[in-house]
Amino acid sequence: MTALSTVDRAIQEDIKEFIAREALAVDERRFRDWLDFLAEDITYDVPLRVVREGLAEWELSPTGRIFQDNKQTLEVRVRRLETDFAWAEQPPSRTRHYVTNVLIDDSEKTGEYEVTSYCLIYRSRGDSIEPNFVSVFRKDLVRRVGDSYQIARRWAAIDQAIINAHNLSIFI
Amino acid sequence: MEARLRDIREGIDHGRFPAYVFNDQEIFDLEQEKLFGQAWTFLAHESEIPKPGDYVTRYIGNNNLIVARDEHGEIHANLNMCRHRGNMMCKSEMGNASHFRCSYHGWVYKNSGELIGVPYLAEGYEGKLKRKDWGLVKARIDTYEGLVFGTFNEDASSLEDYLGGFQFYLDLYLKQGPNGSEVHGPPDHWITETDWKIAAENFAGDGYHTPVAHQFGFNLGYFPSSGATHSQGWAASIPGKGHGIGLGHTPGFTPFAGFPDALTAEIKKSLTPDQVEVFSNTRTAVGTVFPNLSFLMQPFSLIPGETGVRFVTMRLYHPIGPGKCEMYSWCLVPKDASDEYKEAAYQAYTLTFAQAGTFEQDDLENWARLTRMAKSSAAKGIEFPYLMGMETERDEDFRGPGHVVKPYVNDSNFRNLWGRWADYLLGEA
Repeated sequence: MTALSTVDRAIQEDIKEFIAREALAVDERRFRDWLDFLAEDITYDVPLRVVREGLAEWELSPTGRIFQDNKQTLEVRVRRLETDFAWAEQPPSRTRHYVTNVLIDDSEKTGEYEVTSYCLIYRSRGDSIEPNFVSVFRKDLVRRVGDSYQIARRWAAIDQAIINAHNLSIFI
Repeated sequence: MEARLRDIREGIDHGRFPAYVFNDQEIFDLEQEKLFGQAWTFLAHESEIPKPGDYVTRYIGNNNLIVARDEHGEIHANLNMCRHRGNMMCKSEMGNASHFRCSYHGWVYKNSGELIGVPYLAEGYEGKLKRKDWGLVKARIDTYEGLVFGTFNEDASSLEDYLGGFQFYLDLYLKQGPNGSEVHGPPDHWITETDWKIAAENFAGDGYHTPVAHQFGFNLGYFPSSGATHSQGWAASIPGKGHGIGLGHTPGFTPFAGFPDALTAEIKKSLTPDQVEVFSNTRTAVGTVFPNLSFLMQPFSLIPGETGVRFVTMRLYHPIGPGKCEMYSWCLVPKDASDEYKEAAYQAYTLTFAQAGTFEQDDLENWARLTRMAKSSAAKGIEFPYLMGMETERDEDFRGPGHVVKPYVNDSNFRNLWGRWADYLLGEA
């Protein structure tokens, strides 16, 4: 990776705005809107992190996943949240996705961009005074579609090995 | 305390169980000593450590252990504590190592637990320290169909006796073809404000909660049963041992639905005719090995209306405090299945019962709230009714062992579970 991106600055600005609006849709619980940010062929993966020694071959499991979704299964998750019986989100979590360190580079394909970001998810539930913090490194593939963009891949690695939340009924 | 435990023990036989025990320091401390210090505890699946030197770190009660396969292929479970000053030897969850070296003064142990290296042995110890006397503290281990259990109790009966016939039911999860089951990747594990007993009870066959707690599954129409027929099936428990399983049935169910046909043929060959008879029409099989290891098998369609795929999750509820446990959750897959099927089963597992799983989410939400309420002062005097199926006679036609009753919705397994729990706490197990 070079010190500076070769991607046109205007495109970079657009993608940053796109990513911020995507976070806003999730945090405002506009999940149907959020699905529109995602490409039909999206892969949405969050690997399991395992505490390993420094020289181990991997820390992020090659097979273990916390999320392993596609557009259809993400839609099932959203449909579930639209029922009156998604108890894990009744009352709903209050989330805030703080997206920073957004870096945008060309991918192998024209019109598709490798977008990495840091994302700190603050999640507050019910009357609890202890929020959950989920800090992740995201590697998205963002695709130009007409005048806008779509996420064609989201891959996110959670920094904490044991997550301090009793469930993950939220989106990363 | 003993008088109180006697009351609890008697109450269980009459279908009553106190609320406060689900979040109480005194009960927790007693469980550590009398239950987890005595019973067999699940440590690992053999497929997690397939090669010499492979290890995982796990717990018996509050004791951290290294569970390792030595250079000869034998499995050992040793307290993860240097015998010199007690430093934790291994800080990694899993890996491969022939030796463990303490990072404090440098004592070195083989992965079998034998002490082989002591710096300045000759100069410092003047011949007073014999290495053979200071190996890592060993736990007894025993295995069943790939499941490795451990205990520090030298007097514990064999694992075979401890399981006491529950193997018949465990085989459904473990004998998935001639080479059995294997884990698909490392376990999820996460901390939850849930008492381990709530989870253990739920998985001992709580068919009652499904139509409500997981109502969305019925609502979206991708659950292969309906609320109306959901109560059908059996509750089986092993009297005096604490183990229990719920076998949910659906009328018109395709035998072994959700397994590929070729795999079904292999599974049928691996099971006995009685097991095939009992399991072929089982939709949901949800069971607990006393005290804190559970299994669930269920066909599940990722997309409502599609043909389901059968997945197995194995989970361990490791108690870390009153009302608090660390959930471990694995996906087991048939070793001989195609990679394609293994992937599909794993995906069904992640969408439903991994930590972001849609079913797991709702269970934990309920269990955490239940745990919180159990702590309240009013809960001290409250008992719960465990009265379902009090009068139900054993189904004599059922071809599996233990106390087996209809319907699936029944408290019989839970009375057995908590009876065994109380016996341990009273020192009478």
